[in-house]
This record gives sequence, C-alpha cells and structure tokens, in this order.
Amino acid sequence: MFTALYLKEWREKALVFFFELGILGLLLAAPFALRGKTDLQEWLVYAILLLFFPFAALILGASGFEAEFREGAWAYLFSRPIGRPAIWLAKLSALLSMFAALWLVFLIAWAALPAVRQITSGPRVLLAPIAPLTWSGFPWWSLGQSLFLLMVAFSLSLLHERHFSILFVALILGLFFPAAAWSLIISKTGGFMAWLAPAKAFRTLLISQVLMALAFAGASLRTLVRSDFSQPRKQVRTFVGSFTVFVVLAAAGTVGSALFIPVPAERHLDFMGSSDGKAVYATERGLFSYNSASGRVRWLTRRRSVIYWFSSIANGRLAYTVQNFESRRDATEEIWLSNTEGTGRKRLIGRATPGAWPPDDSVQGLTISPDGRTIAVLTRNAARQGKSRPSATTTLWTINSDGSDLEKRSLEALFPDGPEENLWVAFVAWAREGKVLIILKRHSIRPVHWSLWAYDLERKTASKVRDSAVPASPWRRGNSTPRDLLVIQNRYRDEGPRTLALLNLVTGEETEIAGSEEPHSFSAQWDPTGEKLLFFDKRPDPEGRASYFLTVYSLTAGKAVAERITTDLDGIVHHYWTAWMPDGRSVLTLDIKGRCLRILGTDLQNTGRIDLPVRIKEPSGLEVVGDTVLLQDSGIHSLWRLDLGKMRWKRLY
Amino acid sequence: MSELLRIQNLSKAFGRREVLRDFNLAIESGRVYGLLGRNGEGKTTLARILMGVIPADGGSVLYRSRPIAFGDSSYKREFGYVPEDPFFYEDMTVRGLLAFNARFYPKWDRKRAASDLERFSLDPKSRIRTLSRGMKLKLGLAVALAASPEFLILDDPTSGLDVPTRQDFLRDVIRELAASGTTILFATHLVHELERIVERLLVLCGGRLILDDDFDKVKAQHQASLEDIFVRLTAGA
Repeated sequence: MFTALYLKEWREKALVFFFELGILGLLLAAPFALRGKTDLQEWLVYAILLLFFPFAALILGASGFEAEFREGAWAYLFSRPIGRPAIWLAKLSALLSMFAALWLVFLIAWAALPAVRQITSGPRVLLAPIAPLTWSGFPWWSLGQSLFLLMVAFSLSLLHERHFSILFVALILGLFFPAAAWSLIISKTGGFMAWLAPAKAFRTLLISQVLMALAFAGASLRTLVRSDFSQPRKQVRTFVGSFTVFVVLAAAGTVGSALFIPVPAERHLDFMGSSDGKAVYATERGLFSYNSASGRVRWLTRRRSVIYWFSSIANGRLAYTVQNFESRRDATEEIWLSNTEGTGRKRLIGRATPGAWPPDDSVQGLTISPDGRTIAVLTRNAARQGKSRPSATTTLWTINSDGSDLEKRSLEALFPDGPEENLWVAFVAWAREGKVLIILKRHSIRPVHWSLWAYDLERKTASKVRDSAVPASPWRRGNSTPRDLLVIQNRYRDEGPRTLALLNLVTGEETEIAGSEEPHSFSAQWDPTGEKLLFFDKRPDPEGRASYFLTVYSLTAGKAVAERITTDLDGIVHHYWTAWMPDGRSVLTLDIKGRCLRILGTDLQNTGRIDLPVRIKEPSGLEVVGDTVLLQDSGIHSLWRLDLGKMRWKRLY
Repeated sequence: MSELLRIQNLSKAFGRREVLRDFNLAIESGRVYGLLGRNGEGKTTLARILMGVIPADGGSVLYRSRPIAFGDSSYKREFGYVPEDPFFYEDMTVRGLLAFNARFYPKWDRKRAASDLERFSLDPKSRIRTLSRGMKLKLGLAVALAASPEFLILDDPTSGLDVPTRQDFLRDVIRELAASGTTILFATHLVHELERIVERLLVLCGGRLILDDDFDKVKAQHQASLEDIFVRLTAGA
C-alpha cells in the first residue's frame, strides 16, 4: 500500500521533478561553456546552492498535498484502507527521494568536476568554525537549508489548495525561523558563543533548524491524522495549535542543548589551585572543589555562560573573577570570594560597586594573600590615546576579604615612559608575610623583555627587583614564597643561555642553582615543606647530547642532592606533569607512553608504578592534593582521583 | 442475520450547524438499506464518517462488534464507497486508478473490474479528466465493486447518471449485489429510486433518524407512495 502511494506521488510529481532536473543540468553544464570565465562559473554554482536548491525544495514541498486539493481527491484517498500516517510518510518519502536525486546529480558533478569542488569549498574560510558542516568542502549548509524549506513547504501544503500561496508562506517562514533563531542565539548568548565557542552558535542553529523542521513535520502529521479536511479553518487551527506546542518544545530542546551539551571548544576543566587539601577546578558548568579528606566534590557555583579567567587560593579561601557572557550587556567582570568548602560565597566587586572601581576596565590579574585576608587585582584600561597608537594603563587594586577598603594604587613607577603598547603585567607571588606583592612586567615582545617588581602595600611604592628575569615555577601552584625565596630564571630571552636562581626577596641576594645553554623552562616546584626544589635542567649529558635532567635542590645542603636524566624515564614528555608526594620525599611523574604514574624515591630512581585506569585516554594535569593524586583526561575533560592509601582510582568529574 | 454495523449517539457539527445529533442505527448484514434525506440533512456526512474521511464529534461506530476509531484503516478493506462527488486523481488513467486501488484491497477481483469496465463502456486507457461526471460515477462503482466489499456505501450515486444507466444501475447492479449477500447503504434524496430495491427504509431528518423500519411494513402502514410517505414524515419532523 505504501509502495502504491509512493509510486503515485512519483508519477504525480514527475513533471516537476524532471523540470527541476533539467534546470539543474543546464546550470551544471553552463560552466563548461564558460571556460575561463571563473567569475560567472562561481555565480552559477552559487546560484545552484543559494537559489536553485531552496526553490526546488519549496516547489516540491508545496506540491505535497496539491493533487488532493486540486482535484478534491482527499476524500477519495482517505476512504482507502490506508492509515493517514502512511499517506503522510509515503508523500514525504517520495518528495525526499526526488530531492535526494537532485542532490545526487549535484554530488556527482561535485565529485567529478574539480572546478565545482573548488568553488564550493570557498566558504570554508568564512565558515571555518562550522568545519563539521563544511566537511570535504561539500556544501552541507545548502543541503540543510533547502531540506528545511522542503519540510516547511510540505507541512504547510495540507492547509491550502493554492500552490503559490503555500510556496510563498513557506519561503517567508523558512527564512524567518532560522533568522529569528540566529538573532536570538546571538543576542542572548552571542558573545559567549560567537567568541568563545563559535561552533556552538552554529551547532545551536543547526539543532534549532532540525527541531523546527520536526515541529513543522509533527504539526502537519498531527493535523492530517486528527483534522477534518472538509473544515479548512478548523484544520488551520489544529495545525497552528500543534505547531505552537511543537515549536515551544523545539525551542526548549534548542535551549537545553545549548545549556547542557557543550561543544568541544567550550568544554574545559581547569585546575585553579589548591589549599588545605582542597583543590578547585573550573568547568563549563561552574566551579567545584574537591576535598581530599572527605573524598567529595562540592560545587561552589553552577553558573553557566560564565568564564572564570583568574583565580587564586590561599588559606582555605578562593578569590576568582566571573565574567558573564549571557548577554553583551552583562559581560562585566566581577570578583567573588568563597571558602574552598563552598561556604561564605560573596561578591566583592561588581558593576554596582561604588567608588572608583571602573566597570569597563578588564581584569588582568588577581591574587589572594597567603593569609586569605587581602585580595589584589590588576585592571587594564585599553582606551585609545591619540590617533593610531593603542595604549593601556594598568592599575593595582586591593580589597579586604570582607569587602571593605577597596583601594586604588598607582603603578606609575612601572611605567616611567607612560602607557606602553605591548605592556603586560601579572602577579607572581606575595612576600614578607603578605606585605609585598611581586609583579612581573613585560616591556616588549620583540625582543622579549621582562622585569620583576616589588610593590610594598604599606608604603605604596613599587621598585624593580630584577631585570630580564621571570619566575621559574608554575604560577598557579602557589602564591607564597617559602622563606621569602623566589625561584627565578635570569637572562630570560628568546634565545641564549639562562640560569635558575633563588632570589631572597628580603635581602636581594641571589643564589644561582642551575644553568642552561639553551632556552627552556625549568618548571621548578617547591616540596610541601619549602625545603627542597624540584626542577628540570637542560644541559649536555656525558655523551654530549642535550638532555633534560630532573633535579632536586636542597636548601639545607645548598646543592643538588639528586639528579637523573629524564630520557631514562620512558615516556615523560611533559615537564609539568611531575609533583611532590605528600611525604615531601618522593616524586610522582606521569608516564604517558607507559600509561602509568611512576614513583621516584629520594634519589629519583623508580620505586613504584601505578597503572592508569583504561578509561583515561589523554592523561594530563597531574596534581597531588592532600593524600590523593588528581589526574585529568584532557580528551573528555574528566577528573580522576587516586587514593594513595587504598591505591584506588575514582572518577570525580 | 447478524449485526454488521452499529452506530451509537453519533454527532457531527460544522461550525454551529449540527448535522448529525445522537444518531443511532444498527445495520444487519446482507440487507439493502435506503437512507432518505433532503439535501444537507447529513447523508454524505454519515457516509464520510463511516469511511473515516472526517471525524465525528461524538458517539461510536462498531463494525462486527469492534469499535472503529477515527484513523483506523483495516476495516475499510471490507467497505466499498461510491461518493456523491466522483473526485479522483484526474491525471490517472482508468487502468491506473484500478491498479492503484488493487494494492489496497486483498479481495480485489481483477476479472470483475475488467468486466465492469466493459459493462460501463469505460476505456482503460482514458485519462480520468476526460471522463464525464456519469462516467466517473461508473468508474467509482467499478472500483468499489472490484474490491468485493462486505458493506457498500452508495452516496447518492445516481444523481449524475442518465436515465438508462440509472435504470441499469438500480435494476441490475444493486440486485446483483444484494443477491450475493453484500450489505448496502444507499443514501439518496431521489425518493422514487429506492422503491424497487430497498428492504429497510431509513429517513434522516434534523440530524436524527425519524424512521427505521422494513420498507414493506412502511408501505403497508402508510398506504401511499414512498414519495408521499417521505414528504409526510419530513414535514411533521
């Protein structure tokens, strides 16, 4: 029965189909006659994609129930022993197969003619964020859009007998709904989507179109199954009622997909720091804290469409910035404070903060003092001065953790020559029991030039500590300097040798502990007691080959107390994935090739091995917090915990 | 005779106009029912509801004691329907329409279809759009008969036929079907046509059946022509 109806539809619409096929053939053949006239060829191919297929879809779709209306045959058809859903499906199947046949012809031409392929792959540059849609340069966008129009026209075709009216209304609605969806996506979440995760905006549009097409289809099917063709107004009411319900569901589905299904570009898991056995991570779903003592994860905030650019943890407190991208108007950065167990969460600074806080400036850095009582913020005003040269001024702010005493502090001493084009400043550490802030300044990019500065919070003065020096430890691992000793890399240049040194921030004395002939990052890490320093050194091995040496330097001994060439550690490819064990004696390293964690003893020799769970595909982000090891899977952004007591892995996120 | 169809409290309105109101009817198999009603009294509406073309607003229909819901289609394999307005797919040929319908009916009788085409002087190659209204009615009848229905609904089929064909239709076709045990519901406003063929008379007025009785009994009771009986009944309703 289905076949009978399917074939009837083909026979009925054969004339339209072959007419469209002929037009397509002419449009595809024309480029041959226009060899050398590439502009015209491009116009013709885009005429096929932008005009022919959408209108072919509209014409086919609008003819869905044309025969039943034109000849009053609907009563005859409905009195046959076949269900209305089967009638609907047979008609749609026939139309889709005709449309597929048209696209098949285009696909063959696309595959056979390099010129067509070259032209259709053009938008890939413009539409790079929707790479999945432009796979192989095939114009999926045109296929999707024309299919949507076909669906709209077909759905409306059972409401009216006049083919042209259906075609016209379908064109309006078929363009209106995607345009409305796109403008909503952009206006509501545009900044977030278009800038942070452009693929999401396109994916959301795609989902909205698919769901809207289903809404049209659902409404037309429901109308056909339930309504009375002898009462056109009632039929239109049934359609409108059904469509309203389905389109609301489609909108909910679209919003739901945007909220709950992040795109890969949007998904992230960032370690924000640890303190007192608690580690804090930022994700696309919000911030969570892992308590190593209880083994539990607690969400600190579940706000979506928010980016936590900067964070700092000390003494059980977390300070962080919040930038809300739900709309452009709300994209103001705020500064929040929370205890790491989730209590005491409050906004310290927001748009409505009275005083001199400038809501239009962007936050460039944030740090909380080791005692957790003071929060320091760097803001940057990127206003243009003069006609051409962009310039920026950076300001230091401090505020107490209870929200009092917001104070603007001048950093003019850092910029004796006024605003600089490539200026960039960042917090490095706190020194002298939280009275001094160490700040890193970049003077220029080429040649790269850095300097370290100390800002005295009591005297409100800034002074240069070292020129051509940068911190040598990952900044997020801690914001305190044990014994006021800062590990620095001297002579930091693009090329050439550099040294690793301990800088006493009180006396200004500097102790060189390692040197490297080639530029490289030492990635120094203090042990839990601040007595030993673990770092990677790069120098020639006994055979003269440049090798990395994993080294432990002891402050007490005043020299390196253990060392091994990292090439011995099969698979250690990333310097950052090493961490001190809680006992402060052994070291944990991530062996990616060996898919395990290796435990290195005090002499840095292998003393143990812990296999990774099979489900971790791309291990990274090794951290030791309390008596647990935290490891990320950067492929799917999951977080795993290893209980060092029970030696058991568990997925936390 | 067993009950073939039972219609209970059927109602249907178009806007504010109630066409059928608490309509009740029981149809026994193997009998010929004549449904009389003035124009617009709901004969076509009843036929369309029974064929699942339009939904009823209320009430129920049971076919062989099984309820029929709007949207059910399997029971239609045993139903034949010749509509008042013979609208088909105009671009099809006569043969094409028969082939199209043959796929729907498991008891499709090809020989019968062929002989009926001949009997009605229908050219299988003719496009439907070239046929006159009378020829289209004949084609509709040929399709309905080829499906070998248990129950045939004829919705005022003779109104477009010429006199000889109408005579032929009434005399031969209906009688032949009745003899073969097919239950027939013949809806018409042409009163005199029923006189020679019906066994049970139904009169529809104001959306309800005002008469449902054996034709012979009605004739004997009223001692008048059917036309007079009809006028008398509907005038008093």
